[in-house]
Amino acid sequence: MVRSDQEGAIVTKRQTRRPPEAYLPLPPATFHILLALADGELHGYAIMKGVAARSEGTVRLGPGTLYGTLKRLLEAGLVEEGGERADPERGDERRRYYRLTQLGLSVARAEARRLDAMVRAARRKKLIGVRPA
Amino acid sequence: MSAEHIYRLLLRAYPPEFRAKYGREMALLFRDQCRESDVRTLGFWVAVIGDVARSAPTLRVEAWRARASENTQTMEVIMKLAAMLTLLLGGVIGILNAAVEWVAASQQSISGTHEVSLVLGALASALLLAAGVAILNRTQRGRQAARLAVLTSLVLIVAARLLFPWMSIFSQLIGIGLPVVLLIALYWPRRASPLGTA
Repeated sequence: MVRSDQEGAIVTKRQTRRPPEAYLPLPPATFHILLALADGELHGYAIMKGVAARSEGTVRLGPGTLYGTLKRLLEAGLVEEGGERADPERGDERRRYYRLTQLGLSVARAEARRLDAMVRAARRKKLIGVRPA
Repeated sequence: MSAEHIYRLLLRAYPPEFRAKYGREMALLFRDQCRESDVRTLGFWVAVIGDVARSAPTLRVEAWRARASENTQTMEVIMKLAAMLTLLLGGVIGILNAAVEWVAASQQSISGTHEVSLVLGALASALLLAAGVAILNRTQRGRQAARLAVLTSLVLIVAARLLFPWMSIFSQLIGIGLPVVLLIALYWPRRASPLGTA
């Protein structure tokens, strides 16, 4: 399970209208959640499953980490609530759905660009993309 | 005792306001996890307790910080209000005091330096009054004007005190104590407002 020590670093000033780059670098769990929500509105369990599937099981968010991060993302205005309804696949219980805001999407894009630049730099230095000796 | 019951007990580690908002969702998510995992294994419970142990203290600290920030802001508002009221009152009293001293002194033979010190004291009080009005304006320019007025008032009252060493304690409190209190209030360190400055 990935530790998310930096979770508390997410800024909780919704109204300051900071540029997307000001939120970077994102803690891994936060970026995974934003990535999951890039597909559309999801409830907590669907986010958790999406993150586990995308990371091939290396990132497993527990309820505390997931909802703690969602709380901060909501306060920062990167995510918003999309209402409550039952998931037909998971019974009659009503579930709260979450979705990305425009700012959240911009922050996710900025983080993806940052990571992409780092990967390209690693490739140039032949740290990846070459067969190990 | 069911696994969900144990988890509901573990939820007590989270701050009450967080639990009120997300407790039901977290319990629901835990129930989903239970359906797809073997709750009798040690690994399952190590992961559950590990998650609570990592996230609950962080959220507790965040909740505590949020409360501390609210308290600081409330204290700041109270301090500013008190400073403004004292300032307005002090300005009026200062002018009245200077006028009374002037009348009392004019019945005797008043020296030149005493006369100047009384005028300086009255000016300093008028500036304090002006600073109070400028602060009520609640704009950045108002704050700057208030700081300038308070500093000038402080300089004038010190000059008056030097010219007239027998100045009353009451006058010194109003003339020096008040500007100092107000300067502290104006320069009190504060966090940037999430709504931005006016």
